[in-house]
Amino acid sequence: MPHQCVVCSTFYDDGAQEILKGCPCGGKLFFYIKKSNIEKAKKITEEAKLTEIDKKQIEQDVRELAGEEDNETPVVLDLEAVKVIKPGKYELDLLHLFKGEPLIFKLEEGKYIVDLIQSFKNLKKEG
Amino acid sequence: MINLVKQFINKVLKNIFKKKKHLKLGIYGAPNSGKTTLANKICQDWLGEDMGNVSNIAHETREVQIKEQINIKHKGKELSFNLVDTPGIATKIDYEDFIKVGLKQSEAKKRAKEATKGVIDSIKWLDDMDAVVITLDATKDPYSQVNITIVGNLQARKIPVLIVANKIDLKKANIKKIEAAFPQYDVIGISAKYGKNVDKFYEALFVITS
Repeated sequence: MPHQCVVCSTFYDDGAQEILKGCPCGGKLFFYIKKSNIEKAKKITEEAKLTEIDKKQIEQDVRELAGEEDNETPVVLDLEAVKVIKPGKYELDLLHLFKGEPLIFKLEEGKYIVDLIQSFKNLKKEG
Repeated sequence: MINLVKQFINKVLKNIFKKKKHLKLGIYGAPNSGKTTLANKICQDWLGEDMGNVSNIAHETREVQIKEQINIKHKGKELSFNLVDTPGIATKIDYEDFIKVGLKQSEAKKRAKEATKGVIDSIKWLDDMDAVVITLDATKDPYSQVNITIVGNLQARKIPVLIVANKIDLKKANIKKIEAAFPQYDVIGISAKYGKNVDKFYEALFVITS
């Protein structure tokens, strides 16, 4: 399953160091795309013509959606479930969302996937 | 004899746990179907206070709201539950729609982001619900992806559902169309805004939560 850097559009394979540490271009938000949908994703990226400001805004918005305020940790958004077309334009796949799979992954060394929204919910319950 | 004692103990234990558990009743539906208007009507009737703000602009409720311990009395029966009002579920959220109704660009983008998070939260909360009221705008086509997906998922999770056809005070309202779309469910036509038919709604709540 490849990951695409939102800033420079470079694709990375699962487990690539760049995803864990951030892209060499400085990008720390990645879209998670199924292999079968790469062409579709490329087309969306080309057509969207995002400016640098748009890309920054998308990264900030997705971090807020994930409840992740720290700007250093790389974050991956599952494009199958939530598409961010431009800042303020979202498309949601309800079937995917209802399945309860993680939507936004926070990446850490040694720890691959954490569903942040689910973690927050658990914290809320405990508290 | 031992069996009888066991049965008695089980029954007592079951009742203890039943009483301890707070029934969670969720209100779900598409944006602007009247979820918060209905939640406000319930809260006004039984607590004497509102639950949240309502607005003509979609996605007014962007965070899950909870009112605890609502006690409904109807025809000698009592029902106690925690009411959960949820953000509207949508498949597309576009800030330009909010600009069209007068919001500034920055406000519109913020609203779109919060509404998106609201949809995700609403769906995440579904697992916690013991029963769900789905509000539908009776003036609109019931065969939308949002309605079909919510109803289908609740059915799969075996969560009891009551379908409310809201806004029957409006001329364009068509309850028959909603009944035809969801024949396996009871559909109660109400006007949450004007309190029309809410007695029947409360009566139906006892049925789905029993």
